[in-house]
Amino acid sequence: MTSNTENIPMPKSNRALFLEQMKRTFRSNKLTGVGAAIFLLVVLAAIFAPLLSTHDHIDQNILNRLEGPSDQFLMGTDAYGRDIYSRLLHGARISLIIGGVAIISAMIIGTAIGIIAGYYGGRTDDVIMQFNDILLSFPTLILGLIVVAMLGPSMQNMIIAISLTSIPGFTRIARAPTIVIRERDFIEACRALGYRDWRIMVYHILPNVLSDVMVMASLWLATAIRTEASLSFIGLGVKPPEATWGGMIREGFENILDNPWLSIFPGLAILLVVFSLNLLGDGLRDAIDPKTRED
Amino acid sequence: MPNSTQSRESDTDIILDVRKLRTSFRITGEWHAAVRDISFTLRRNETLALVGESGCGKSVTALSVLGLVPLQNGRVEAERIQLGEHNLQGLSEEEMREIRGNRISMIFQEPMTALNPVLPIGHQVAETLLYHRKMNKEEANKTALELLDKVKIPSTSSRFKEYPHQFSGGMRQRVMIAMAIACKPDIILADEPTTALDVTTQSQILALLNELKQDSGMSLIFITHNLGVVASIADRVAVMYAGKIVEITDVNSLFAQPTHPYTEALMLSIPRSDRDIKTLHSISGQVPPIGRMPDGCSFAARCGLEQPICRKLDPTLQPIDVGLTHEVACWVRGDYNLTTIEERANG
Amino acid sequence: MADTLLRIENIKKFFHVKRGFPVPETVTVRAVDGVSFEVKRGRAFGVVGESGCGKSTLGRSLLRLIEPDSGSVTFDGQDVLGANPSKIRALRQRMQIIFQDPYSSLNPRKRIGAALAEPLLVQGLAYKRKAHERVLKLLDEVGLHSDAADRFPHEFSGGQRQRIGIARALTVGPELIVADEPVSALDVSIQAQILLLLRELQKSHNLSFVFISHDLGVVRFFCQDMAVMYLGRIVETGPIPRIFEDPLHPYTHILRDASPMPDPNQSKKFIHVDGEVPSAVNPPNGCHFHPRCPYAADICKKVSPDWHQVDTERGVACHLFDTGNTGHDYPKR
Repeated sequence: MTSNTENIPMPKSNRALFLEQMKRTFRSNKLTGVGAAIFLLVVLAAIFAPLLSTHDHIDQNILNRLEGPSDQFLMGTDAYGRDIYSRLLHGARISLIIGGVAIISAMIIGTAIGIIAGYYGGRTDDVIMQFNDILLSFPTLILGLIVVAMLGPSMQNMIIAISLTSIPGFTRIARAPTIVIRERDFIEACRALGYRDWRIMVYHILPNVLSDVMVMASLWLATAIRTEASLSFIGLGVKPPEATWGGMIREGFENILDNPWLSIFPGLAILLVVFSLNLLGDGLRDAIDPKTRED
Repeated sequence: MPNSTQSRESDTDIILDVRKLRTSFRITGEWHAAVRDISFTLRRNETLALVGESGCGKSVTALSVLGLVPLQNGRVEAERIQLGEHNLQGLSEEEMREIRGNRISMIFQEPMTALNPVLPIGHQVAETLLYHRKMNKEEANKTALELLDKVKIPSTSSRFKEYPHQFSGGMRQRVMIAMAIACKPDIILADEPTTALDVTTQSQILALLNELKQDSGMSLIFITHNLGVVASIADRVAVMYAGKIVEITDVNSLFAQPTHPYTEALMLSIPRSDRDIKTLHSISGQVPPIGRMPDGCSFAARCGLEQPICRKLDPTLQPIDVGLTHEVACWVRGDYNLTTIEERANG
Repeated sequence: MADTLLRIENIKKFFHVKRGFPVPETVTVRAVDGVSFEVKRGRAFGVVGESGCGKSTLGRSLLRLIEPDSGSVTFDGQDVLGANPSKIRALRQRMQIIFQDPYSSLNPRKRIGAALAEPLLVQGLAYKRKAHERVLKLLDEVGLHSDAADRFPHEFSGGQRQRIGIARALTVGPELIVADEPVSALDVSIQAQILLLLRELQKSHNLSFVFISHDLGVVRFFCQDMAVMYLGRIVETGPIPRIFEDPLHPYTHILRDASPMPDPNQSKKFIHVDGEVPSAVNPPNGCHFHPRCPYAADICKKVSPDWHQVDTERGVACHLFDTGNTGHDYPKR
């Protein structure tokens, strides 16, 4: 039969489409690219922390304690004579790992629950959303506090704590489009063709929900990192002598008048990461805007 | 009664004169014409149907006449858009507002989106009167009640205060019609007003429009894709395709003698409930996209009758009858001096 | 005489909706209120009615996409409503559906080829290469170029998407297709294309149809038998040319006459239709149609009419046929 699509260019591979979407995202708003670039730098710094460090970040050096930035110690030293710069780099690892793992696991769990709630509706939906709302109504910090207080401060428990605080957001974000999509005829077609519920949820609803979810993931990663820093700041984070940004700020407070750099640098680091993630996330959200969507 | 073949002497009868209307839109940076130099006239108390499939430009035509084409990405050009003694082209937005709802009214396909959901319908009908006729509230409300009665909404006094969502589709359409006739306009532009309605409701609305038209002497431009509806209410019909009028004539001639190949194909593709049809004609191909209009006749690729000249030059509307009222834009079926045209094309 | 492929008896489906502000109350919408008919193998059965008559709900109930509250559906001798999950999966290969809205009937994120191959995989009918071959063959059958398989829905027009929807229904090799207003959202010329395609496919695959539509012309062209629905009930059934030429029920008569005809000589007289289609929440007592019926008698307001099988092919639910009247009084066209 005649090709009714003869005027339309040939179909593209998934990779080509992805690259196109990326290009479109970054072209529309220059700041998105800035955000992405900065965040990428931070990630690279965290990955290559051992290589980029000038000193061992745990090594104490009482003779050099509380010094300002110098040739030897790029950002100065803390109360124990440890190089702030090196500690900052390793702290990046902690923040990114905790934030990243927490958000990814929250995303997986929350999205799954949200889709299930949205797809089945009725009592299932009611019950799930009630639990969700309970979780959501806890102030993030309090919830994290409770979990860490119960389980003890460790990287693992931090991840659990932050993940728990992030799950309800993902549930909501996944549930809303699910409710819309499940009414569409193509879902009914799936049921008419005998597809099981899980198949419909995974292969038909999830792909249509994913873009919404991933946009929020990048924004909430920023929140997760802030939460980790806050919990570390009040002493519930990863135990010393491991370097965490929140912990470093806290330690810095005790010597804030002598050497403000102790708190300023980690503070700036947190600011930078959160800011870059927000730029990136906002840019993604604008790009995913229904106006630019194919459907 | 249909105003069938009117000769040119009754030019004073013409209430709307549109000449060479061209409406373009900017799509991804480039300007493309959705309506391409169309001309038509509308007489007093006449119903002109603009028929065509989606994308042919019929709605855009109505919006262009009323100056409702958004200007950031739209552009309306014409040799003439004359409403009675007003030249609609030169008017400012302020002056156009005086015309809209007053001399020309428009009713739309989806009454729910045309009515404000948070205001009672009586209020919305009265609003037109307050604005255009400068009546005071009491007078306006009283007139609004009468109008609702005129469009046959039952229990008008109690329904006056009700909200759009409390009305059915057919009733909302009546409300919209009441708003449209409030200021006794010369022309009503109806853009697919019955497309979203059930068959029985549609029948009622069409009967209502016809009655109102007879009573008031106003004219009606009725936009639709449904040839059955056209046959029941139109006096004259303009068939549109890809932004152009390809055939224009009185309704009887159109159905008795569909001349343009597109019109003919369209008639043959409609299934009918009053007779058994062996097969339907299906027109191969698709309407050319707005950005890729071919040279020559835009229907040539799907026509079946096309000649070489059809691919080179776009045909103009030419009368094919003695009374000069049935016009067709087709090199093959129209009545042209083809030799001179071919010379022009080849030279 | 073709055998009966589908028999539905006394199907009912009610919806319970909470409405109202500030105190919501639960109202019952009697969407399908006792519907029965038969579809013969290889034939198209039209279900005609205006909005709110329940035809869409009926169509979905047949396939158990909506679970009916009561009644029976028998497909090729098998009980559909009582079938267990594995029997249902098997039945789903034999009964399929095509939808009205070309813009919501396809998954926007799936390429056409993948979307068409999936049913084959799920039902275990073909895998990988064979599935791909089947997909290309289907695309060809519905008049689409093979490169459509790599494209996404948004690259296609409404008519083309309908073709894809039809291809999808055909993947599992059904014997019956429920077509829910399949051409209502399309332009006239595209409508003709799709109707011709469906007719061709009906012949080549020996398909039966339950063809739901509000457009009498389309139903007359495509179907051999039909039922007229009003507010959840069937008011008349019969073979197609006869029902149009000689409608028995007053509503059928009005429906036919109110449909605008592309013929200025016939269309000019506007039929007088009273009132509006009432809501299915509070249907009138007795015969649902009595408030709008030009022939309503006292009994019509109180008692719901029984079904009268007028002859082997035609039936009607109307009190005019009650008292042994051989015919009816209203004027023929």
